[in-house]
Amino acid sequence: MKEEKIKLNVTEIENFYYDITRCIRCKGCKWVDHIYMPGVKFSTRCPSEKRYLFDSYSAYGRLKLAQAVIEGRLDFSEKMLDAIYKCQLCGACDVGCKRNLDLEIELPLEALRIRAVESGKGPMPQHKQIAGNIEETHNRFDAPHGNRQKWLPADVKPARKADIVYFVGCSASYAHPEIAEATARILNAAKSDFMLLGSEEWCCGYPLYITGQIEAAKKNAQHNTEAIRKSGAGVVLVSCAEGYRMLKVNYPKMFNKSTTEMGFKVVHLTEYVDELVKKGTLKFTKKMDLRVTYHDACNLSRLSEPWIYWEGTRGEWGVTNPPMPRRRGTNGIYQQPRDIIKSIPGLELVEMVRFRENAWCCGAGGGVKEAFPDFALWTASERLEEVKETGAEIIVTGCPWCKDNFNDAVKKDDINLKVYDFSELILQAISL
Amino acid sequence: MNVKEGLIGIVGNENFSDNPQELTFYSHDSSLTRGCRPTYLIKPKSGQEISKIMKLANESRIPVIPCSSRVHFYGNTVPKLGGIVVDLSGMNKILDIDERNRKVRIEPGVTWSQMVGELGIMGYRVMTPLLPHPARSVLTSYLEREVPLVPVYEYGEPMGGAEVVWPNGDIFRTGSASAPGYPESAGSKGANFEGPGLNFIYLIKGAQGTMGIVTWANVKFEYLPKVNKTFFGLFDDLEKAVKPLYRIQRLKIGQECFLMNNLNLALILTEGKKEEFEKLKMALPPWILVLILSGLRRRPDEKIELEERALMKLRSEEFREMKISTALPGIPSAGMKLQDLLRKPWPNKEIYWKHLYRGGCEDLFFIGKAIDAPKFQEIVEKVALKNGYPREHLGCYLQPIEYARACHVEFNFYYEADNIKEIEIIRRIKLEAAKILLDQGAFFTRPYGDLANPVYEKAATYTAVLKRVKNIFDPNNIMNPGNLCF
Amino acid sequence: MSISEEAYRVMEDIVGAGYISSDAVDMEAYRGGVEGYGASMGFAKVMSRLPAAVIMPKTTEEVQKIVRVCNLFKIPFIPVSTMFWLAQSVPHVEGSLLIDLKRMDKLEIDEEHMYALVESGVIYSQLQEQAMRRGLYTTVPGGGSQVSVIANMLDCGFSPLNFRNGFPSRRLLGIEWVLPDGEILRTGSLAFSDDPFWGEGPGPELRGILRGNAPGWNGSFGICTQMAIKLSPFQPEKLEPSGISPHTTLQLPPKRMRWINFTLPDREALINAMYKIGEAEVSAAMTKVPIFFRVVAKSESKEDFWELWRKESEESLAKFHVLRVLLIGYTSEEQLDYEERVLMDIMGELGGEPRRTKPTDESWFKNADSAGMWLMAGGYISVEYCLETIESAAQQGEDYATLKKQYTPPLMADYGDPGWFQSIEIGHGGYFEFLIFYDPREDTNRVDHFYLETAKLNIKKGHWTSFCGSSQPIRLIGPAYGPNFHLWMMKVKETFDVNSLSNPPVPYEHDVFIDRAEWMHPLEDWKDPIKDWKDPNME
Repeated sequence: MKEEKIKLNVTEIENFYYDITRCIRCKGCKWVDHIYMPGVKFSTRCPSEKRYLFDSYSAYGRLKLAQAVIEGRLDFSEKMLDAIYKCQLCGACDVGCKRNLDLEIELPLEALRIRAVESGKGPMPQHKQIAGNIEETHNRFDAPHGNRQKWLPADVKPARKADIVYFVGCSASYAHPEIAEATARILNAAKSDFMLLGSEEWCCGYPLYITGQIEAAKKNAQHNTEAIRKSGAGVVLVSCAEGYRMLKVNYPKMFNKSTTEMGFKVVHLTEYVDELVKKGTLKFTKKMDLRVTYHDACNLSRLSEPWIYWEGTRGEWGVTNPPMPRRRGTNGIYQQPRDIIKSIPGLELVEMVRFRENAWCCGAGGGVKEAFPDFALWTASERLEEVKETGAEIIVTGCPWCKDNFNDAVKKDDINLKVYDFSELILQAISL
Repeated sequence: MNVKEGLIGIVGNENFSDNPQELTFYSHDSSLTRGCRPTYLIKPKSGQEISKIMKLANESRIPVIPCSSRVHFYGNTVPKLGGIVVDLSGMNKILDIDERNRKVRIEPGVTWSQMVGELGIMGYRVMTPLLPHPARSVLTSYLEREVPLVPVYEYGEPMGGAEVVWPNGDIFRTGSASAPGYPESAGSKGANFEGPGLNFIYLIKGAQGTMGIVTWANVKFEYLPKVNKTFFGLFDDLEKAVKPLYRIQRLKIGQECFLMNNLNLALILTEGKKEEFEKLKMALPPWILVLILSGLRRRPDEKIELEERALMKLRSEEFREMKISTALPGIPSAGMKLQDLLRKPWPNKEIYWKHLYRGGCEDLFFIGKAIDAPKFQEIVEKVALKNGYPREHLGCYLQPIEYARACHVEFNFYYEADNIKEIEIIRRIKLEAAKILLDQGAFFTRPYGDLANPVYEKAATYTAVLKRVKNIFDPNNIMNPGNLCF
Repeated sequence: MSISEEAYRVMEDIVGAGYISSDAVDMEAYRGGVEGYGASMGFAKVMSRLPAAVIMPKTTEEVQKIVRVCNLFKIPFIPVSTMFWLAQSVPHVEGSLLIDLKRMDKLEIDEEHMYALVESGVIYSQLQEQAMRRGLYTTVPGGGSQVSVIANMLDCGFSPLNFRNGFPSRRLLGIEWVLPDGEILRTGSLAFSDDPFWGEGPGPELRGILRGNAPGWNGSFGICTQMAIKLSPFQPEKLEPSGISPHTTLQLPPKRMRWINFTLPDREALINAMYKIGEAEVSAAMTKVPIFFRVVAKSESKEDFWELWRKESEESLAKFHVLRVLLIGYTSEEQLDYEERVLMDIMGELGGEPRRTKPTDESWFKNADSAGMWLMAGGYISVEYCLETIESAAQQGEDYATLKKQYTPPLMADYGDPGWFQSIEIGHGGYFEFLIFYDPREDTNRVDHFYLETAKLNIKKGHWTSFCGSSQPIRLIGPAYGPNFHLWMMKVKETFDVNSLSNPPVPYEHDVFIDRAEWMHPLEDWKDPIKDWKDPNME
């Protein structure tokens, strides 16, 4: 068998032809890890597969579509775009497959969208609209760029120089200033100096990257990376899971580097606070008598392992050389948020059936909220059914986009449930 | 050449008969089935002879009624439309005993006393139903799906690969006995009963001789336990006995396990000796759970001890009121007596235990759930009483199947053998009760005689499909017509 | 070739517009040929077709109506559950309707009477979890807990957990089945009421025509819509799931469940151990551990596997005799201890030594461990899996291993491993399986040759085979077994599938494949091969 050169590079879907054609249809990408399987209810991990049922709306089916594109049997028709964009790219399929196999699933799905955009047919019109917003105003809302730091309360003073730069993100800057404010106050309470990038902070680029608009995403990535480097920060703190993954995983991916080569460390608020609590620097003094369940945001959990740049060859028996690094979602941010909850007096943590790497996506990601709002809402409603079974009074998560989507579903389904971002919960618990 | 000549040409004069006296023997059995005399009686010695008989019968459109012994209880070997009785009792060889894989290959004429005797000497046992008649065919018992006394073997039942002659005369092997060269030179040992292709043996089982004739089959055997201890659960009320039965079974305690009413158990233990029987019947509680704990091949005493502890723990934690004893009131050493009795066929070849009480016995049995047994009992007793049959003559036997996932429910109507009036009453009761039971969760998986009609009417689609399948294998309907729905 | 508009509209009315499609993109997602079980083998390449439409019914009534529509409009159809056996789960003729049963996911358990009633969309891990919560368990097959319960019970149903309960077809209780002509058949107690608790009869058992030995009809005899299967008594403590993917596992309650791996001095000792453990009527599962299983268990990728595998050799294989035994304390903790003492007695007699064994299960109870079989080379198939006796299994393995040498490469070298076998029915039976691995990117013609040659080897040596009816040429196997079982099977098929619509051309799909595959022609030396098969639906 001749050796073939391959790279973990999503701009060329052909790199993943082996993975695409080695699917065994075990549907590990669909089912909750069988070890944790609860029964018929809450038994699957893929929202689009459950909603749309046809194989074309599942990972195993989309791989076939990818194969057809590579082999020239299909092009990016309206139906094809519908099938590939009705997907949150939540990574559940990737992790599920890697429980027993060594195939890449998430990457070819990303690559498929990139190929769709390259062909001129993708992405969805709503995604193009947002790309236009980002180009114009450096945020996805088309809000004035100058207002990006309007959230900052008068009594919170960012440092001029610090090791930490707080990358606020579009949502906290414009839609959820309470998250940005809470984060800033928490850092203050911990006496952690932090910088802000101010107008140098552009959208992290998630809505561009995730919809296949990689060139535009790269532009934003380059700008933000430059701004971070200029600031001299060693640590980039985020309170948004999407931003977390972009900065930690997709930026190095786009630059053909590894996470460790970026020159800064990306840390989520929950990681940071957990460390502070364990060191004793931050203490939770306020008792909160609440039953809480934690939603593992995809980008913070299973999709958040550091990126490792790789190129090499695949030869006899499919063996790669050097051995291809496998990111299986094992080392995502799972425990830290839970440890925080457990250390807040009075909080009772109850887990949903599908938790940690098996978590059911909130429904918002992958461009779905923008292009297919009904589907996004349906996905969130499914998740809230699970919450109902726990008897939890509040659901907390580490991503403002999860918070938004859950709140929309709570409203639509008229559910008695409060949705918290983690920053809000921590702030309450430190009695500020 | 006429049929008679043809038959003689196949089996020889000495194995053929059209003597009316001999034929009369086959026109009835211990059941209340009405039948008629066969036209001919033949006694083949091999599958090849049977094959030729089937071909001849097809050409001549004469029914064929297989019977494997001279002891029958259910009426299915009684000819309904005349025909040729193929008496297989002469095919009574134990062909090979495979100790390594614990199976034995036998012909249909091998009887229970033969089988138990020969294997018993070697320290083995086969799964027996309750006290089979010593002269009854072992294979018939298995093919007719008689329920085993020991509910612990989850593989369900003992058959392996077999040889069958189809109604068209084809000699065919089922399961892994169908492998080329079996048994002489094959890698296969005939242990698997499934296939080839379809599960052909399933079409023969429960078929009452309407689908083909088995000429040999593999059946499993186990080790005969050497160390045993019998326990009795004593109950005034059947309802109180059911839950403990489930729990004992669920915890996999013991080997033989069944529930019986006092009449039946007294009959068995006293072998029907009138005075002793009456006394014991009075002394026993209405319902008795029989449970035999047995040691297996290794560390037998340890096994019995741990199961006994589990039994006592169950009683103390869940059934405080339950009376458990190793003795039965009114009869010494009942436990040991049963250990011996239950692993062999009935010892008396002349009179079967069911005929000891009043001379005759008609059984009504089906598969149900043990939890429904009290309901079933109530229905049968009500119908019996309505027709003037006293409940004190009614026997009852409940055999859990595979850890009580289901239960063989059996009612025994004992009657005076020459009392025609009583016989008619029992016929009426049986049919009337069966019709009510059918709607109450009783599953007549083996509908004999008069019960076939109401059963197959109720399962109309099944019946229609079954007939289409029968038509594939026996388009001329020569195999034992008048039974089941054929 | 497409389905007529008239037929499509009727079916749309039956299930609703959201549950039927003939869109080219949707159909592409059902393509077979190069993936999965038997990936890129000749059969998958030659015999796979895209469906003309896919439909997803929810109820038995909908299934029946669909089958009737197919009969009316002469549309071939194929029912599927999970499609894990991809090569057999895609249509083999043009213009087929693929009936995807995933929406039928009823699962009900009668705890007291120990059975589960399932529809086709239910998989084993779902059933196992619900069973275990009720103090019961089921045999999760070697194929993995991601397979459909119904499809697997009709097709295979084998695993080390069969040690106590044996043959799969005996585990079937009441069955509901839509026959190829659209009639509904209910068997066992289901023929009388809604309670499927018992499977036999009435009288002769029609479940005998619904499932034989493996691999069953493979969808060519209509559609099973509901099935009750036996569950077994279990022990009362929870198997706690733990770990994060890919290291998830079930923690076994230590006083009630234990796996123990034993090394034995040689193959004969291992076989004797199996027999003796069966005779002693102890243990809940027992399997020889093939060396490549052990290496796969330590690997998370092909690279891991090959690094370890290259260190093995014929010598190391010849010394590797590991028997893995599961003990379950069904009755009590004491009972488990007793069984362990018996086990140690036996091992002491045979020179067996217990190895350090993890107190967990990540393979047999609930996982889809079989996926690991693709880890090694990307292509895998079991060329045989059948139930017979332990000694037959051992012998058949040796015969296969000898034959395999001639086909290595392209088959992955396994240092002469003589197959995998287990004990079933407490030693009365044995299960044999021979797995082969190959790179699907390479020329697989000789893999096809090997596969066919194993069928001939079985006939020559009088070995049992599971491939009676599909998966090997029926005109080769048929005359040898029975003899002529295939003629009866075809008569049954013709009686109920007059229009030949249920997954044609199964059960003679392998005959057709060989007819169409030039590279197979030199091996076609049996008396009555199919020649130039014509699809009756194309005429």
